[in-house]
Amino acid sequence: MTPPAGSLLSAEQLRKAYGPTLALDGAEFSIHPGEVVAVMGPSGSGKSTLLHCLAGIVTPDSGTIMYGGRELSAMSDAERSALRRSEFGFVFQFGQLVPELTCVENVALPLRLNGTSRKEAERAALTWMERLEVDDLRKKRPGEVSGGQGQRVAVARSLVTNPRVLFADEPTGALDSLNGERVMELLTDAASSTNAAVVLVTHEARVAAYSDREIVVRDGRSRDMERVV
Amino acid sequence: MERFPAKGEMVLSPALKELLESDSGALLRERLPDRIVGTIGESGLIGSAELAFYQGAEGLAPHIDSGRIARIDGYGTPNTTSERSDPVLLLLILVLFVVLLMPVAVFIAAAVRFGGERRDRRLAALRLVGSDSGMTRRIAAGEALAGAMLGLVFGAGFFMVGRQLAGTAEVFRISVFPSYLNPSPLLALLVAVAVPTAAVLVTLLALRGVVIEPLGVVRSGRPPRRRLWWRLLLPLAGLAMLYPMIGNGRENGDFNQYLVTGGVVLLLVGVTALLPWIVETVVARLGAGGVAWQLAVRRLQMSSGTAARMVNGIAVAVAGAIALQMLFAGAEEEYTRSTGQDVAWAQMEVTLPNAVPPAPAAERLRDTKGVNEVYDYSEGHLGDRARDPEATTTVTVGGCTALREIADLPSCAEGDVFAVHGAEWDSGVDVAKLAAPGRKLYLDPSYEGTPKSLEIPWTVPQGVKAAKPRHGLLAGIDRGGILITPKAVPDTLAPALEGHAYLRLDESVPDVHDRVRNTVAAVDPLANAVTWAETERSGRFDAIRTGLFVGAACVLALIGASLLVSQLEQLRERRRLLSALVAFGTRRRTLSLSVLWQTAIPVALGLLLASVVGLTLGTVLLKMTGTPVRVDWTGVLAMAGIGGAVVLAVTLLSLPPLLRLMRPEGLRTE
Repeated sequence: MTPPAGSLLSAEQLRKAYGPTLALDGAEFSIHPGEVVAVMGPSGSGKSTLLHCLAGIVTPDSGTIMYGGRELSAMSDAERSALRRSEFGFVFQFGQLVPELTCVENVALPLRLNGTSRKEAERAALTWMERLEVDDLRKKRPGEVSGGQGQRVAVARSLVTNPRVLFADEPTGALDSLNGERVMELLTDAASSTNAAVVLVTHEARVAAYSDREIVVRDGRSRDMERVV
Repeated sequence: MERFPAKGEMVLSPALKELLESDSGALLRERLPDRIVGTIGESGLIGSAELAFYQGAEGLAPHIDSGRIARIDGYGTPNTTSERSDPVLLLLILVLFVVLLMPVAVFIAAAVRFGGERRDRRLAALRLVGSDSGMTRRIAAGEALAGAMLGLVFGAGFFMVGRQLAGTAEVFRISVFPSYLNPSPLLALLVAVAVPTAAVLVTLLALRGVVIEPLGVVRSGRPPRRRLWWRLLLPLAGLAMLYPMIGNGRENGDFNQYLVTGGVVLLLVGVTALLPWIVETVVARLGAGGVAWQLAVRRLQMSSGTAARMVNGIAVAVAGAIALQMLFAGAEEEYTRSTGQDVAWAQMEVTLPNAVPPAPAAERLRDTKGVNEVYDYSEGHLGDRARDPEATTTVTVGGCTALREIADLPSCAEGDVFAVHGAEWDSGVDVAKLAAPGRKLYLDPSYEGTPKSLEIPWTVPQGVKAAKPRHGLLAGIDRGGILITPKAVPDTLAPALEGHAYLRLDESVPDVHDRVRNTVAAVDPLANAVTWAETERSGRFDAIRTGLFVGAACVLALIGASLLVSQLEQLRERRRLLSALVAFGTRRRTLSLSVLWQTAIPVALGLLLASVVGLTLGTVLLKMTGTPVRVDWTGVLAMAGIGGAVVLAVTLLSLPPLLRLMRPEGLRTE
């Protein structure tokens, strides 16, 4: 397969089934560095599965995923884990912060997993927390902060390793519109400052509005909406 | 038995029948070749795995009360032994029960708190639809009550099934019939009331520090810092209860059962009270290391109570076991006596009924596979008078080779007679005077108040040679008396002589002891073969010790299972988090290691505390019995090791579910 020219991450003919349910049925995708692509679609359309496949969390049943000239599906689990640690960042809807760690320890966690010393990791974490305006929460535990604050901490954590691709799965799904918009502003600004590509899974048009391009997934198939938008 | 077996027939216990019909019973079948005509019923056996048989025979009546054949005229009257009132054994039994039952109680208290977080979320949802705080607590109590009742129903079901299965199992040579597992109605009622009550009380206690609010939010009110002072009161009160009995000793050791039980219970409950404080205090001071360590320590800092509860059962069991181990080690000497049997000299001894000549039996034994050497003797009892003799000694008949094994002979030829002087065996008896040539002695003399014995006269021949005793080959003391070679024994003495054979074996030959027993049974069914051992222990002491092992194994298995359930419960509640952590690249090894640390830290602290409390309790118990205090470090390490092994096994068993929970499925929300 030849990925689209200049694309950082691309996928072709992805198929994935969970038992009898076909989640992806020939889905296509590509993203360039610094680009924000919204993956939209109704519930159960397969958009989260597409994100999980693109991020190497789930292996597709067939099809190819290319990242930086390497085929993702040909990598071992350990290689994909290492890739996720060093080059990808993640924000999920909820349940992602480790409740027993303080906010700064949560943000520093990906760096620590990469072998960075605790002190250095927490210094870098604080820098990102300042950018996301949550540095005053550094000593608090996730259970002690609001949903919007927690999500900003999660965005800081996803960016602390300076990832090349940021995967965000319904990052504002559990937030009110005001908090959701603030999180999206901070997320896209921070990503663009590091030239990170953002794969944004959402079903909300106002969140998708932060993207450069939209892809709609329906019944496991994707359709590029660039020209429509 | 439905009927007595006739000659050539036998009635077997079910276990023996099964054994004889199996391949492993081949050797035993040679010894029991008779036709099987029935099965011994349950009331005639002490356990389902007991090996017993009744074999039909003829001509036994004349031998009744000869020491080998007794008339059985009933069952069910147990022999009373002097050990029954032994205060040390009583103490052992009391402590054993407390030590085995306490962890079970701790386990029940911990088990009713399983699923707490999920319950709190459910209660929060109830608050949302208008349930007030009191109502929420009542609902939680009701849930706990319903759960406990359901548990009781299932428990009763499992008991009924387990009761049937128990008949097929044998643990440390203890087997039971299902009908034996028959709890008293009062105790059953106590359990039926205590379990739901405990469940409700523990639930209400657990909810005390939790603020349940609507909108799915459950906030734990910051728990007050644990106080040490009242936690120390429990073990100190336990020691205070045991203190008055220190030095009571073995002879006048009239231990107050209530004080002993109360003291031990309080000391062990002290472990469950102290452990949460220790875990909280220590983990608060633990620094951050690697990611796995940091995750584990932070988790423990956040909820040290849960971790301590998980370990409480193990800690109590180990503390009790260490104390008991010390008490057993201290008391063992008292209940173990040397048999005097020198297993380097012989490994088996065969005793033949009177009038069965040992020489042909010895020949057959020599031909048995695995038997290297056989020394055969006939032994009898000589007195200076036919009735109520003043001086007595033993007479041993054997060939020169055999006699040389038990005494230093100057020279030996067939027809010689020896008098062994100065043997410990004959203390107080002047053998030289007794064995004066021409003196008339009586074999098997009679004593007042006993039936008339054989009283066979024997005149000491001329030319009795003096011999010196050889140390301790038979029965641990120098053998003395009169030694006679077979040619010098008149035929008239034979009925009063009992044949013995001492066997040196090649113990590498498989089933050598059974082969010997088969030969012996073929020589005479009433002949007896005994395997020698250097020491023997009191049967009751051994039974209590066996009880400890059986009970400890069951308790640890129960606690291990509870640990596993609790561990899986916690992991399931963190399913989404685990998946998210793996999604952003956390190594599975890191998470597994974090789970191990999370268990290992409280377990290490629990075992440390258990060792301190166990050693203290052991010391007090030894002082109570007046036994010198000696710490059996191997036992302490073994007990702590077993506790640690249970935790390791639980961690290993929880790894497969942990790996499953780390799959990306946990991220799916739709």
